[in-house]
Amino acid sequence: MSNSFKSARPDPLLRIDAVYKSYAKGAPVLRGIDLEMAAGERVVVIGPSGGGKSTLLRVVMGLEQIDDGAITFAGASYVTVTGRRTRIDARVRRSIGMVFQNYTLFLHLNVVGNLILAPCKVNGESRKTATARALTLLDRFGLAEKADAYPSQLSGGQKQRVAIVRALMLDPALMLFDEVTSALDPELVAEVEQVILQLAGQNLPMIIVTHDMWFARRIASRVLFCAEGRIIEDGPPEQVLGSPRTERARDFVHRVFHIGG
Amino acid sequence: MDFNFGLIWKFAVPLAQGLGTSILLSLICMALGSLLGLALALARSSPSRLLRLPAVAFVELFRGTPVLIQLFWVFFCLPLVLGFEPASFTSGVVALSLFTGAVTSETFRAALRSIGSEQRDASVALGLSRWTRMRYVILPQMALRATPVLLSNSITLFKETALVAAVGISDLMSVGENISNSIGRPVEILTTVAVVYFVIAFPFTRIVTLLEKRLLRKLAL
Amino acid sequence: MNYVYDFASVFRNADTLIDGLSLSLEIAAAANLIAVFGGFVIALLLLSPSRLIRLPATLFVEFFRCTPFLVQIFWFFYCVPMLLDVYLSSRALGILALSLILSTFNAEAFRGAVQAVPRDQIDAGIALGLSPFQRVAHIIFPTALRLVIPVLLTNGILAFQTSSLLSLVAVEELMFSGKMLSAKIYRPIETFTVVALIYLVVSLPVSQWVGWLERRRVRAER
Repeated sequence: MSNSFKSARPDPLLRIDAVYKSYAKGAPVLRGIDLEMAAGERVVVIGPSGGGKSTLLRVVMGLEQIDDGAITFAGASYVTVTGRRTRIDARVRRSIGMVFQNYTLFLHLNVVGNLILAPCKVNGESRKTATARALTLLDRFGLAEKADAYPSQLSGGQKQRVAIVRALMLDPALMLFDEVTSALDPELVAEVEQVILQLAGQNLPMIIVTHDMWFARRIASRVLFCAEGRIIEDGPPEQVLGSPRTERARDFVHRVFHIGG
Repeated sequence: MDFNFGLIWKFAVPLAQGLGTSILLSLICMALGSLLGLALALARSSPSRLLRLPAVAFVELFRGTPVLIQLFWVFFCLPLVLGFEPASFTSGVVALSLFTGAVTSETFRAALRSIGSEQRDASVALGLSRWTRMRYVILPQMALRATPVLLSNSITLFKETALVAAVGISDLMSVGENISNSIGRPVEILTTVAVVYFVIAFPFTRIVTLLEKRLLRKLAL
Repeated sequence: MNYVYDFASVFRNADTLIDGLSLSLEIAAAANLIAVFGGFVIALLLLSPSRLIRLPATLFVEFFRCTPFLVQIFWFFYCVPMLLDVYLSSRALGILALSLILSTFNAEAFRGAVQAVPRDQIDAGIALGLSPFQRVAHIIFPTALRLVIPVLLTNGILAFQTSSLLSLVAVEELMFSGKMLSAKIYRPIETFTVVALIYLVVSLPVSQWVGWLERRRVRAER
């Protein structure tokens, strides 16, 4: 095995090539991101606020326009830039699921309604089979009795668990978690992290942005340290979280473990 | 000075007919006006300037001028546009529907804006097409949020229909004014008219408040 | 459509409209001045801890909010002189009627604003040892006023537009002048278009200002 992390991976699941992104006002948020991720990996992205972590996930999900670069999923290029326009292939994007920091359940639909909307409307699945699948999944994650509840009747932790199940309904080949526990009360964090660990146990590839270093250490197979729109460190969790090579990362990890721990 | 409120019973029938006209006018204009308002709100949130600017101009015009003058204006302009003289009720319907369109477009627009961008993000992440997102995520939530305000708007409209008395439509106000003038009993008649308007509008405002509370709970805002 | 527009004859009689406009502005300005004060006083009554004060005040406000302006104005012009046996000029009656209408609207705005003053602001005032009156004067009132100014301005425009109803009880304001002029020159469309534009030109800057104030507040709260 070569000592370069990249070439150790055959056949990338996700490949990000030189992605640049800036918002209309202000400094660029992504300044040349390159990343290859293999099918078995669970990548945790850490770093200071405003360093581009969330934007990176949103770009992978195809929620944002980018200035330059390309993203390929399982060999199919789905985020490309021609001229000034970002083109996104919605078919490829369907293989990716995402859960957000804010509660994003559809407030006018109950839990089952939230779960079956996309399967019925996007994949043309029948209401009956989608509902049956929804109930099975809810049961597996201990949410069976909440099937008819509306989002306003759920706790924050339950909302996020339902949001995860909603994404799973579409059988994603890659899951993105964008600070999914940041808005939660501390006592509700564990139940959500438990669900993500459960998915990790099934070898579902995922990219996780989190501020919870203990969770990061537990779940990651690989850790990226992101700051100022660049990936500054990239390696196994023991290394990036334990003995970072750069001053920036060392400083950050030290401070977070001290304050957060 | 003596007042005789008993005499209003003699005029119960014409007053009731007037009230019927006021309510009918409100219902028709609310229906037409809301459709117009929805269209205007969507046009105003469109990325195309060609749709946005005329919609903005329309709303500013109808919100920046008194309803009375809108009534007069439609009254004199409509025959020119149509080429024949329509019934005054028709002119009243057109004018108040245009006004209601401007008012409800603000309601729909506010409802649309109150839907957070995270709902759009979630829809995109779930692979919903633009149309599915509009039809199954955005519009239902907009309708929910707009409903109490639309009901308030309809109270406003019900009150504004009193202005059609000025262009000769026999609504509650106009009937009351005529009776009051002909028998010289403004205190009895006008007070009765005011009470009738109140008795209809006030319970409606309570319903709106209740509905708003329930809705806020449901949407957990 | 072979109608030939003739705006020139309207502009030839512009002085009639200008007279009307100045009376409209005068009435609206006076009503606004009275109603800022009146609205605040009624709001205090609405927020009174005593039922005996709160209920009549609420009924009063609700009655105004749930009946048409036109009915209120007619009632005021025909019934008030009869009931109170006082005979005021139509201008004074117009100002009074409009002030009352506007006061009830401003009262609702003030009430909402006073309730919207964050509890911790008041707590901070208590913690700093301010007396109840000082808390009202230095914390509640300024905070509420800042919240309420856009609504007061919006209500002010509404009052200006509502003043057009006074034309129906023969107050010679802008709308009345417009009706007179259109009857005189037989040009209703042109006259009413010009009158509508005058209302718009007065209202629009204020509503734009309100929009600006609100956008600024939203930005500041972020």
